[in-house]
Amino acid sequence: MRAIVQLWLLPCRQMPLLGVLAHLLWLAALACLAWIRPHADGAALGAGLVAMGSWFWHMGLGAALRGACQPENFLLPGFRRRLAGLGLADAAVWVGVPAALALALGVPHAMLGASLLLLAAAMGFAMGVERWISLLFWPLLVLAGWMPGLVGAIVHDALGSPLTLPLLLLTAVLLLRLALHPMLQITDRPPDASPLEGLSLGRSTAADTATRRSALGRRFEGWFDAIAQRALALALMRYREEPSAARRRALVRRLLLPHDNAAALVLRIAIMAVFAALYVVVAMHRQHFNATVVGAYAVLMALARFPQIGRGMQRMRPNLADLYLTLAPTTRTQYQQMLASALLVLVPIGTLTALAYTALGIVLTRADQPGLMLLVTLIVATGGGLVALGVHLVGPQGTVGRQLVNAAVLAGTMATYWGGAWLVDALGYLFGGGLLALITLGFGLGVWFASQREYLQREPCFDAPLA
Amino acid sequence: MGTLVPFPVQPAAQAATPAPVLRVGGLRKTYERREVLCGVDWEVPAGRVIGLLGRNGAGKTTLLRCLLGLVPIDAGAIELFGATMAEPGGERLHRVGFVPQNFELFPWMKVSSYLDFTAAFYARWNHALAGRLLQEWELDPKQKIGRLSQGQRQKLAIMRAIAPEPDLLVLDEPVASLDPQARRAFMAELLALMGGPGKTVIFSTHITADLERADADIALLRDGRIQFTRPLAELKARLCHAVLNRPAGWSTPPALAGAIKSRIAGTSLHLLLEDVPPERLHQLAKDEDASLRIEMPTLEDLFVELA
Repeated sequence: MRAIVQLWLLPCRQMPLLGVLAHLLWLAALACLAWIRPHADGAALGAGLVAMGSWFWHMGLGAALRGACQPENFLLPGFRRRLAGLGLADAAVWVGVPAALALALGVPHAMLGASLLLLAAAMGFAMGVERWISLLFWPLLVLAGWMPGLVGAIVHDALGSPLTLPLLLLTAVLLLRLALHPMLQITDRPPDASPLEGLSLGRSTAADTATRRSALGRRFEGWFDAIAQRALALALMRYREEPSAARRRALVRRLLLPHDNAAALVLRIAIMAVFAALYVVVAMHRQHFNATVVGAYAVLMALARFPQIGRGMQRMRPNLADLYLTLAPTTRTQYQQMLASALLVLVPIGTLTALAYTALGIVLTRADQPGLMLLVTLIVATGGGLVALGVHLVGPQGTVGRQLVNAAVLAGTMATYWGGAWLVDALGYLFGGGLLALITLGFGLGVWFASQREYLQREPCFDAPLA
Repeated sequence: MGTLVPFPVQPAAQAATPAPVLRVGGLRKTYERREVLCGVDWEVPAGRVIGLLGRNGAGKTTLLRCLLGLVPIDAGAIELFGATMAEPGGERLHRVGFVPQNFELFPWMKVSSYLDFTAAFYARWNHALAGRLLQEWELDPKQKIGRLSQGQRQKLAIMRAIAPEPDLLVLDEPVASLDPQARRAFMAELLALMGGPGKTVIFSTHITADLERADADIALLRDGRIQFTRPLAELKARLCHAVLNRPAGWSTPPALAGAIKSRIAGTSLHLLLEDVPPERLHQLAKDEDASLRIEMPTLEDLFVELA
């Protein structure tokens, strides 16, 4: 039992906020079911709450258990049996208790509700374990968007059909099978990527855990890897031809940021274009797109790259000892300067990415003011990138602190984007744009230079982080 | 029961001793209020192989990393090649090869890319040696470092350290993950490469047989200090292990000049002795009515007794 409790505690320890919120939703749902009269209304509200809580909780549980299912852990006595025990206990809490209460209170369609809860839990769990499973729901969204009448009729008929219950249960079992099969399989661990890189398109996550990639993901990874190897070879050749400081810096960049080169950037934007086009098709039923939202989202995606720098530089400390000896700097400051200069390339890359995403958004949404959007994106993404790079380079070492800093940077950038769009719209490209550039770039450069100064004063650290 | 008296301090180095490649004075390092190095004073002459011995947690890794500026120090001074290590000092670092205890290289790089990258920064890089070792140590240059086994990564780290033909090679337990064949091959390579004039090796290991093969000078790190640095041959010549046995057993060890460590085990008294003539030991055995056995200790025996 203690082992099951420890497994249950895993997502709570990794995502305490999620654990608290999900279980509060569960409690609230039971309270709605018990106290709201008539019980059918309470059950409808409660089912929505518990389904939402269950979906989030099981996404976290799936992600946590995926991390725990390492080959070494399968050697623990009865590990699989205890996982099954956790599954049963979890189903009893999230499905059994609400269903039993609903049955006791005589709520109509209680069994159907229970099977829907099971489906929500299975869906969340499967998405937590294998991210690609969320793609399976896109066709449903497309259908709901294009033919809402048909979907309504299907739901109406399903409520009265005796086949609905077994079909829902079958779907839940299928989802669990899709998630559990790879999770319980012992496979080769892929070699670690650079801690400064994440290969997801937004590149906000990933490198902290060993990722399992789908066949498509592995193919993308192969392309990026081939591009990175070629870029490094090219940089080496150029450096050998003429070993200048700039080429030396480029070489260090190819080592630290293997996927931040021109070809990889083009490939990333091309892949993003495919997915964005697909998304537009999926969301076609929405009649109006707010182009400014699309632009803001593009900036947000470009900035999602920077938190990886703080995390990655910390994780990379032991690796950097080798680079330190290889570079043989005259002073420690010189070494820190080399790293800071190498990382500065992320700002123009972020700006270019944001511009490309914005241009894509402009095309897909047929935006009215493409010039305005591109100008605001150019200024805000550059200023935001400078701030993000600066604060993540010298910012807090702890996860919570880093997340808070990141949230503040993103919120500030978004506010600047909206404010900037309004300013340029109101004052025109020259005055509005000039004022926005003055404020945003002035602030961005100020933060970057201050952060850089602080970083240069620090002693290089090569000790592995404690956690 | 065991007692350990301070190890006798040797007279100052003779005038013929070459200038030290490394000089450490009063080095202190504390980790979260735990003092790991408490005023290390140490000189390493050029052209020697030094075996740094010490128990787990004695601070060997910390000391070696401090020497190269990879860990900030709390107090003291370090001189490398005659210049202070307050700053890395540019090309001076290229005269040093370092094999760390943990091989945190760049797992996303291919072996060949990694070696090419590193070689590009060095003015002196023995490509022929690196190529030969790649072949002899059966490392696939197209393999990603993250795909290599621990032992293969260790080989790669060693290769990377010796390819620039460094004047000082610092090895932190470099053979822990190697199989016996690879260990011997490495030792042979090391001795051939570092046998040249002025080449110095500092070698932290628990495999004392390797130090015996290299005829190293032994430096013992204990209680946060270097207790002594002495040639292995000299240690072996001057130290001996005597076992005195009598049925009545021993309450306290008898006083004996030259006894470094004494230990009572049942009816036996084990003595580690320095420069004590056998006649004196026979006399002691006779006086104490005990039987006497004199053994020549191996380096491992000495390590167990002294560390």
